[in-house]
Amino acid sequence: MLDRLAIFFTSLRLTVVLLALGLVLVFWGTMAQVQIGLYQAQNEFFRSFFIYWSPVDSGWRIPIFPGGYLIGGMLLANLVVYNLRFDQERKRNLGLIAIHIGVGLLLIGQLLTDVFSTESMLHLRNGETKNYSEASSHFELAVVDKTEATTDRVIAIPQDRLQRQEEIRQADLPFSIRVHTFYNNSTLAEKEQEGFTQINATAGIGAGAWWRELPREAEMDRRDMPSGIVELLTPQGSLGSYLVSAYLNQPQVVDFNGRRYELRLRLERFYKPFQLRLVEFRHDKYPGTDIPKNFSSRVRVQRPDTGEDREVLIYMNNPLRYDGDTYYQASFDQDNQGTVLQVVHNPSWLTPYFACILVGLGLLVQFLRHLFEFATKHNAS
Amino acid sequence: MSRKLLNTLSLLKLTGILLSVGLAIGCGQDGIKVYTVSKESAPPTEMSAVPEHAAPTSGTQLKWKTPDGWQEIPPGTMRVASFKVTGADGKQADVSVIPLPGSAGGDFSNVNRWRGQVGLAPVTEEEFAKLTQPVEIAGQPGALYEAVGDSGCILAAIQHREGTVWFFKMTGDGSLVTQVKPVFVEFLKSVQFVTGETMPVAVPEVVSNGKPNWSVPTGWQEVSGGQFLVAKFVITGTGGAQAGVNVSSSASDGGGLAANVNRWRKQLGLSELTGEELAKSVQSLGPVTLVEMVGQDARTSQPAALVGAMVSQAGQMWFYKLMGEAKVVAAQKTAFIQFVQGVKY
Repeated sequence: MLDRLAIFFTSLRLTVVLLALGLVLVFWGTMAQVQIGLYQAQNEFFRSFFIYWSPVDSGWRIPIFPGGYLIGGMLLANLVVYNLRFDQERKRNLGLIAIHIGVGLLLIGQLLTDVFSTESMLHLRNGETKNYSEASSHFELAVVDKTEATTDRVIAIPQDRLQRQEEIRQADLPFSIRVHTFYNNSTLAEKEQEGFTQINATAGIGAGAWWRELPREAEMDRRDMPSGIVELLTPQGSLGSYLVSAYLNQPQVVDFNGRRYELRLRLERFYKPFQLRLVEFRHDKYPGTDIPKNFSSRVRVQRPDTGEDREVLIYMNNPLRYDGDTYYQASFDQDNQGTVLQVVHNPSWLTPYFACILVGLGLLVQFLRHLFEFATKHNAS
Repeated sequence: MSRKLLNTLSLLKLTGILLSVGLAIGCGQDGIKVYTVSKESAPPTEMSAVPEHAAPTSGTQLKWKTPDGWQEIPPGTMRVASFKVTGADGKQADVSVIPLPGSAGGDFSNVNRWRGQVGLAPVTEEEFAKLTQPVEIAGQPGALYEAVGDSGCILAAIQHREGTVWFFKMTGDGSLVTQVKPVFVEFLKSVQFVTGETMPVAVPEVVSNGKPNWSVPTGWQEVSGGQFLVAKFVITGTGGAQAGVNVSSSASDGGGLAANVNRWRKQLGLSELTGEELAKSVQSLGPVTLVEMVGQDARTSQPAALVGAMVSQAGQMWFYKLMGEAKVVAAQKTAFIQFVQGVKY
């Protein structure tokens, strides 16, 4: 049995089949982005073990094609088992080993990037200071204990948890949160409209309003606007059911046991141990034209724990790399008074560089070895 | 080393590697985040003087010049400004200013939704582009759309600013909206955005603005009613049976008698009434117009009864609704009517 498994995983045919499936997957996933958008396509095709098909109105999910995780995982297994099985025979072939480790590192690096990297946006107006960036499309339910004078205690529940529509308990909260309904995309109305249903909230802003679930956004320049009903439950009873929604700009206040809490569904925040202040955003044009010459953001980095306080200029192809994050000039406000920086946090960003160097070195060794053998044979003959 | 042992060792090593990767991934997927942060800083100094006509939103203050003849009314939950426009012949229009984050569904979809509301057919993207009229909003370009249909008229201006879509919308009688369109355009020009980080504005649990004096009957427990309600009471009867009393108010006639009676009928799963049937269903107790109905709660599908009261007072319509299990509603009906009649506005 083990013999058969090992033979299966070391098979070159498996490699070829997996690479072919990978080609189909990339093509299919790319085309699917037109219909379902980039993020959903990434999740359904590449960040999954299978691609599923659901017959209309059946509620079934039938796997019809291997997803990115399965193909990548099998390729990695193929590579690892091959090298472990033949390590005795192949240990002298340094070039091949380097190539295989490099390819393996590429696969693992991509998986680590997928799992551990985050991308967020930092929007600053001239003179504004922030110590957090925000996700571009992923929301969180922030329950903020506002009782203390100088600090806030934040309990942030990610959208994935809200989607499960379950009861959420957290040790820092004196109440549990039961998610009754959650729509990943929705629209709200003050008054009754066709297709809308009344929101079943008993407290806060949403009581008496109307809503409707919407299909998820596929366009890159649009964003889902989630809404949900959450009930706050204490051992003494319910504190009420609240509407939480991306449409609500203001938090809702809940007082309980002498403490004040605020509820708000907001874009997921990533707090930093330092703050950035936008000193000046510049959008220079070539004289006499509207052709952009330069976009740049002069920011002040202030870090209280180290006393660091310095100015940095961020412009195209010159990002700020700081504390494990990279800040790219990404966009700006129409009135040129504000900037949008893309913040990328990727702990494994060096992995592909190492992988490519290893593959390059391995190929060089292989070619030189063959050249040397050819030259030796040629001389001998 | 035998080939078989080699295979076994290879697969064991592979299993170890995959388990390690799996564990690493599992540990990385932390769900709920808990952290302490400093309170957000106060708004910059230029924000300290909030203008008289200013509406707070997240990070932006809005100010405007109210046109002559427009009556500013308290904004609802989603609005930052709200106005009532009354024409010479008594016709009315409603003006709202609503900011929504993101693309808010897209201009094309919104315009088609508005067209549907006034009884017009949707347009294609090509036709939509032709409908767009340029307009100036706070010194920046915006888009103006006009939809005149059988059931009214909507004049809406849209501007995208810093990740927020601002909707300036006038809804009402077609002739009035067309007549005041130039005033609306001037109003858009007068709008000013004063941007900066503001402290979040706490939402009061109950709107106390304009709350009249009343004497709450015994056994009624006041609870938070949200921004759409002036007050909300919960009544628990024998055996845990429950009913609730909602109090709300609306500028002008709040849509009229028929619309509100039928709104309540719909909540009990009853068909709409018109003409004589409608007139028969209501009774007048002095200034109070009373209506009673029995049906099935549309939300819970449980049998329910409703006693509704409407009182017109100083240009405002007040709505009182007692709704819940029939036996509680029957027991509380007298107390409810006395409560409504005793309110001092």
